[in-house]
Amino acid sequence: MNIHVVAMVVSVGIFLFVIDLVRRRKLTFKYAIGWLFVSASAIFFAFFYKLLFACAAFLGFELPSNFIFFTMSCMFVFLSLLLTVFLCQQNNRNDCMAQKIALLEFELQELKKKLKID
Amino acid sequence: MSEPVRKILAIVPAFNECGNIGRTVSEIRALAQGVDVMVIDDGSSDTTAKEAKAAGGMVVSLPFNLGIGAAVQTGFMYAQRCRYDIAMQIDGDGQHDAAFIEKVLGPIRRQEADMVVGSRFLEKTVGFRSSFSRRVGINFFVHLINALIGVKIYDPTSGFRAYNKKMIALFSEYYPQDFPEPEAIVVAHQAGGRIREVSVVMRAREAGNSSIRYFKTLYYMVKVTLAILLHMIRHRSVHKNNSEG
Repeated sequence: MNIHVVAMVVSVGIFLFVIDLVRRRKLTFKYAIGWLFVSASAIFFAFFYKLLFACAAFLGFELPSNFIFFTMSCMFVFLSLLLTVFLCQQNNRNDCMAQKIALLEFELQELKKKLKID
Repeated sequence: MSEPVRKILAIVPAFNECGNIGRTVSEIRALAQGVDVMVIDDGSSDTTAKEAKAAGGMVVSLPFNLGIGAAVQTGFMYAQRCRYDIAMQIDGDGQHDAAFIEKVLGPIRRQEADMVVGSRFLEKTVGFRSSFSRRVGINFFVHLINALIGVKIYDPTSGFRAYNKKMIALFSEYYPQDFPEPEAIVVAHQAGGRIREVSVVMRAREAGNSSIRYFKTLYYMVKVTLAILLHMIRHRSVHKNNSEG
């Protein structure tokens, strides 16, 4: 089987899978957009692979596959950095929430004591 | 002229300190009258909260372990909300002697400082002065802080501290995480806080496994140094933005 056909099928598959995840609300648009962009460019280059080869040659890569691997690893580094930022944000929010809940619980107990409930 | 009555909160962070916390709370209540004791139970799995309550402390139980920084900050948040004039930090492991509370409060009461650190190394005291590897680490921070902000604090890792209203407002908004003590000094100084040290005597606490202690000290040093340097960069950029905007 032709490798180009495989590349096309896989990239279209990923694109449809991301759309399906958004449709089923497993992914929100905010997080899906990056993946949609990546899979759309994968589809584009799967169909117009001559452009991909031209890009690779222009940038000085000896093999187009090296160009693909390089681009992919850059993308994953960027993506994982982005995910770490989201993780940090969630962690801070979680901590802040835990602190507020603990203080509210304490104040509720004090109030109950004052009002002599249970 | 008599001194105005001040609301004082002692924040005691505690994580699995069931052997020590009861004694620590009773000691503070006995030796420092008029000081409210709030134990922040940092998600302990033992009876820390129960014992602290039995000893007469107010207990705030965090739903899971957040680390010392967030635990102490919870105390600052309460102090800010209930308009305390002074907040103290006293460790829950019994290392800090409540007999020195008044001494640590002194410069704040006299309005000579915004933040006071109880220091083991200010005088040649007889008390516990930490292990060799930790002393090397502490000395490193003395010089780092001095080089960065030009203030010499001889015991920058001491968690026996007092803060006035200005510092309560500051730290209820932002308090460093993980190993917060040295960084908190830098944060306070950057916010225009006057920092003072007073000499205190500390007691020994249970020593850990000696083979991992060296590694832990090194890890602590690297981590806190990076945290302080990052804070300096952040502070500088915030400052720049403010002056430009």
